[in-house]
Amino acid sequence: MTLALRSLYAEFVRTFGNVLFAVTLFVVWGLFTLIGVVVEQGEDPSLYFQSYAAPIARAILRLSFDNIYHSPWYVGIIALILLSLAVCTFKRVIPARLPPLRPVSVEKIPLHAVFEAEGEAFDVRHRVGEFLAARGWQMRERLFGGVEWSFADRHNWARRGVLVAHAGFVIIAAGTTLYWARGFSGETALLTGHTAEIPQTHALIRLDNFAYKITPIMTKSGMVYQPVDYVSHVTVVGKDGIPKHLTVRVNHPIDIDGTLYYQASYGFGMQFLVSRQGERNAELSRRTLLEGDAFDLPGTQRTLVYERFAPTVDKQSGMPTADPRVSDPAVLLGASESGNSLGEALVPLGSAVDAGGGWRVMPQRYVLYSGFQYRYDPGVPLVGIGAFVLLAGLVISFYFLPARLYVRVDEAGPGRARVGAAATTVKGYDVFANEFERLMIALGRGIEPGPSRA
Amino acid sequence: MPLDELLIAIALCAYVVGALALLLYFFSRETWARNLGAALAILGCTAQFVQLVVRWESTHVWPLLNLYGSLSLFAAMSVAIYIGFAFRYRIWFAGGFVLALAAIFLAYGVTWYEGTMPPVPSLQSYWAKIHVPIVVSSYAAFLVSFVFSCVYLLKYYAEQSFSGRRVLATAAAEAGYRSGAGELSVNPMMGAVTDAGGIDFGRGIARETPAIAAAASSGSPVARWLLSLPTLAQLDVITYRAVAIGLPLISVGIITGAMWAKEAWGAYWQWDPKETAALFSWIIYLAYMHLHTRHAWRGVRTSWVSVIGFLSIIFCYLGVNIWISGLHSYKM
Ligand code: HEM
Repeated sequence: MTLALRSLYAEFVRTFGNVLFAVTLFVVWGLFTLIGVVVEQGEDPSLYFQSYAAPIARAILRLSFDNIYHSPWYVGIIALILLSLAVCTFKRVIPARLPPLRPVSVEKIPLHAVFEAEGEAFDVRHRVGEFLAARGWQMRERLFGGVEWSFADRHNWARRGVLVAHAGFVIIAAGTTLYWARGFSGETALLTGHTAEIPQTHALIRLDNFAYKITPIMTKSGMVYQPVDYVSHVTVVGKDGIPKHLTVRVNHPIDIDGTLYYQASYGFGMQFLVSRQGERNAELSRRTLLEGDAFDLPGTQRTLVYERFAPTVDKQSGMPTADPRVSDPAVLLGASESGNSLGEALVPLGSAVDAGGGWRVMPQRYVLYSGFQYRYDPGVPLVGIGAFVLLAGLVISFYFLPARLYVRVDEAGPGRARVGAAATTVKGYDVFANEFERLMIALGRGIEPGPSRA
Repeated sequence: MPLDELLIAIALCAYVVGALALLLYFFSRETWARNLGAALAILGCTAQFVQLVVRWESTHVWPLLNLYGSLSLFAAMSVAIYIGFAFRYRIWFAGGFVLALAAIFLAYGVTWYEGTMPPVPSLQSYWAKIHVPIVVSSYAAFLVSFVFSCVYLLKYYAEQSFSGRRVLATAAAEAGYRSGAGELSVNPMMGAVTDAGGIDFGRGIARETPAIAAAASSGSPVARWLLSLPTLAQLDVITYRAVAIGLPLISVGIITGAMWAKEAWGAYWQWDPKETAALFSWIIYLAYMHLHTRHAWRGVRTSWVSVIGFLSIIFCYLGVNIWISGLHSYKM
């Protein structure tokens, strides 16, 4: 490696291994995440121009802020975080070893305690060792220049907590990548009685029946129509070729050959009786339209859109009500000519409307449809393991504080010893101050020669 | 008045009076005010938990599925976590702020009360019983950390302000500071020092606010009062400990939320505004934890991060629910 390359590498390791650099990356990550919360995601470009001033809307679209979580920026910042995490883990976290067993200047360490105890130094030292060992401290003794030092370590294993937390994040990232590489997802809306083939798996799914339950409840601010159940009865044929009757509900997906199918939405398909001068148009009248579907009227420039189903229309006002249960249904039809809107009309089921050019359109019959989402995600187990590992790392890091005590016991006159103890931890001194004080007070009391020792 | 409404009224009154008592204690250190405030905090919190159980029992609907129930748990958990901290670290002095915030959130929650409704299909899941309490508890822990970081910032900027006024020369400050220490037995976490049985910890009260100490020794009542607060290092540690409860909890909350989402909507992560707002808060507290590993950044900077973190929590909790619609507006 040339000198320039080596210094570049050293600079890279220094920057990416720096916690403050990682925090800077977190800040950028946080800001991108926040942008996605505030700016509506995945909407039609025109919506941004409606919601924001033109220059802002243009910036949103140009910078991919309308789909920020899949933008190069977002993926890039996560990649940088992973890189920084890897550098930091290999260059700092893993090489970090236990502090060496060596004498210290007890009084120079901010967390220290000095007190006298009754007894010969060797006896007191022994009692200190016993006391700390009984509380789970791992004791080691070493002689330095004729002075005997005791080193007590606690939760040593927890030094790996950071490593565990970092590994958890990497595993989650790997699981997510696996979905991008090998997973798929999609949606399908099925009219009652219809069958769809899922393109990726070739599984067949037929909607036998869909039902929903809505309960009207009088609340303080008026009537609320609370949906309480959506249920699709389906027949599915997977790889084994055997048809199975299954039920799909919200929170209760079904599994066909590893791909999960979820109850996602529902709606009302509509069949229209379309006629011209009293003559039924068989092709248009046979079709079942979903909300949002349109059809052209032959021989004209007109297009009709089945915009929305209104389950209940108020008889007096003629307007749709909030009640989603079907009692007096109507259909909101939109009309346009050569792309220019001509307006909308609310047409009750069974009533015909003049669509111009001699055409009459009558909403005839509604058919419920059920919307399913399906998803194959081979990364799920990995993400689950990663989440568990990350969590374990957090708990280890926050609740098991590795600490080291340096203790020396010297003669302090006949039958008396002077105990000096200092503590260091991986998280500084303050976080251990309380516990150290309690420990030292207990130690002072605990090593008093009691009657049992006499 | 139905029992559950009565219990909420009791809790609300207990928080309001308790907050006043503990605020009095904050400024005056009157022991009776602390005892009264502590008792009312415990009463209010207990009344709230009983109320949640009563409501569940009587309606058979998990009571945390709307903003009323969830804000109610938020208030109760904030007070409960705070009571735990107060007993552990003897820090009742900050309880007035916690109780006041709890009262505000509870009162705000009551305005969302619409009566009992059966849950929409996506909320009919055992995950509701796991995910919601965990997330709300994490918010509560962050509220406690927020209060202590505010007290930290108050003391820190007071020190700056006193040192700006240069009340006394540094040497005098040190001397006054030491002589004052003996009287400061109220200093919560240092209580142990006074009955240390002859152990020299070599630290005394940390020498980190010399200007306040100097002003206190020259008779400033505000400075004496500020000195009676825990040291900056202690406030920082308490904040850290509260975040160390909140961060794992919000992590579990996000994870259980993802598991629930996977069951209900098909994907464990949909970049829904609520999910992403929680991720945003998680990132802020992750930054807090990393900054806290650096000595130079511990203290005033991490306290500001904790304040920003809590604001992000409020945005995630209330802002997203109220202003931004998404899957968490529970349409399906
Ligand atoms: C985004 C995923 C990350 C997670 C979940 C994570 C989690 C953690 C946790 C829980 C701790 C322990 C904190 C404490 O004990 O107070 C920690 C410490 C640490 N993290 Fe991360 N971290 C992440 C990313 C990074 C990155 C990108 C770096 C790169 C520089 C990094 C560097 C460190 C270092 C050096 C420590 C130990 C500091 C010390 O104890 O001196 N972390 N991390």
